[in-house]
Amino acid sequence: MSNYIERFRTSERVLHWFVSIAFFILLLSGLGLYSTLFNGYFSVFGGGKQAIVFHKIAGVLFFCASAFMFFNHKKDMTTFDADDKEWIAQRGGYLSRDEAHFNVGKYNPGQKIFAIFTGVATLVLGVTGIIIWGPQSFPRGLVQLSLMMHGLMFVLAAMFVVAHVYLATIGNPGTLEAMLYGDVRKIWAKKHHPKWFKELSGK
Amino acid sequence: MAETRKGFLIDTSRCIGCRSCQVACKQWNKTDADKTANQGTFENPRDLTPNLYNRIKFVEKADDKGQVSWKFFNERCMHCGDAGCMKVCPSPGALYRTKDGIVAYNKEKCISCKYCVSACPFNVPRYGADDKVAKCNLCVDRVAGGMSPACAKACPTQSLNFGNRAELIAKAKAAKKTLYGENSLMGTGVVYALEGKPEEYGLPYNPSIPPAIFLWKDVIKPLGIFGFWGSIGAMLIHYVSVGPKKLEETAEDRGGDRHE
Repeated sequence: MSNYIERFRTSERVLHWFVSIAFFILLLSGLGLYSTLFNGYFSVFGGGKQAIVFHKIAGVLFFCASAFMFFNHKKDMTTFDADDKEWIAQRGGYLSRDEAHFNVGKYNPGQKIFAIFTGVATLVLGVTGIIIWGPQSFPRGLVQLSLMMHGLMFVLAAMFVVAHVYLATIGNPGTLEAMLYGDVRKIWAKKHHPKWFKELSGK
Repeated sequence: MAETRKGFLIDTSRCIGCRSCQVACKQWNKTDADKTANQGTFENPRDLTPNLYNRIKFVEKADDKGQVSWKFFNERCMHCGDAGCMKVCPSPGALYRTKDGIVAYNKEKCISCKYCVSACPFNVPRYGADDKVAKCNLCVDRVAGGMSPACAKACPTQSLNFGNRAELIAKAKAAKKTLYGENSLMGTGVVYALEGKPEEYGLPYNPSIPPAIFLWKDVIKPLGIFGFWGSIGAMLIHYVSVGPKKLEETAEDRGGDRHE
């Protein structure tokens, strides 16, 4: 009997990494636009003008792929049941070394909050990005607000991504495999997502 | 900068609306002509364009008897001491300040982001067919050579006065003029002696960097950098204090039949 169980299909994993690569292209090409402190990052793309071109292309791709990803999982990600409330009340057991057990389904509330934030950030960054793209076609006040919101959502997104990467790698050993090969160890599934494991394996 | 800062003192009461300044500017800066349409006013063109760095705005007003009066206003980049365009420009050297206090620009370094268009308190910068910033550069080349800007040189009525900013202001104050721009935005390089309220000329009463631009560059930007490194720090602290959620195999997982 296999020790592994499938968590993400190939298409889901490809989409995830597509979004991730687009995100990091956006990050690298956008840093120089965020502050002159990061002017050196423009050279990755051969200058500021080219960095903006990359930022626009990656932005459109990110928007479409991230929105698609969100709608694929919308139902799972936006429903919170009683077990989820318990998880939230105890912060998922992340603030203590004590062994904690939560009856979590396929996604825990932290992952759901990350997914909802990503959906909102995709929308806000996408809409404000279009406005910043053609500032002369919009009222000045709206463009000014968009520049501010684009910066604010970027900062929040970067902070969420730091937490996401940490929790999906060294913070929870065994998790990364889900996004690499798609299969996770059964003991991992039982520990982190017991309700989901039970649904899948029937035990 | 204060002692060496150069600027304009524009006395609107002396302006006769001849537009020599417009023509001289276009001539010196070699900008193309704009095709315009007659819109029932002598004001032409009706806005700054990528080819028009300064212009005379005609403020028309009819009194009760239908008598029309004009006020003339030379509209251009104000060369702010605290310049919104420079605050947001992500390309060092594209918009820069000379030792005379002029907000000049280098089109070759402009990366066409258009942030300056949105950040200007006076809505001055324009983008043309070359997709680069265009605005009054206060004839930076002439000034560097000890000459006065083309517009001031051409002005026949001394409405446009160019020189040491502090001296010009002192002189205007001695003549009991009400000044606009003396102190706002760390002092604008272009100071006006207006014949009436700023609003009558379409100027903001109290010009300032747009609030969203201030929040973006002076609040969110520094806090964001702090927040980013803070979040990385928080993850590291979590890892060494609480630690990861390790996977531990139980007897059951190893195939045993004992239950916990």
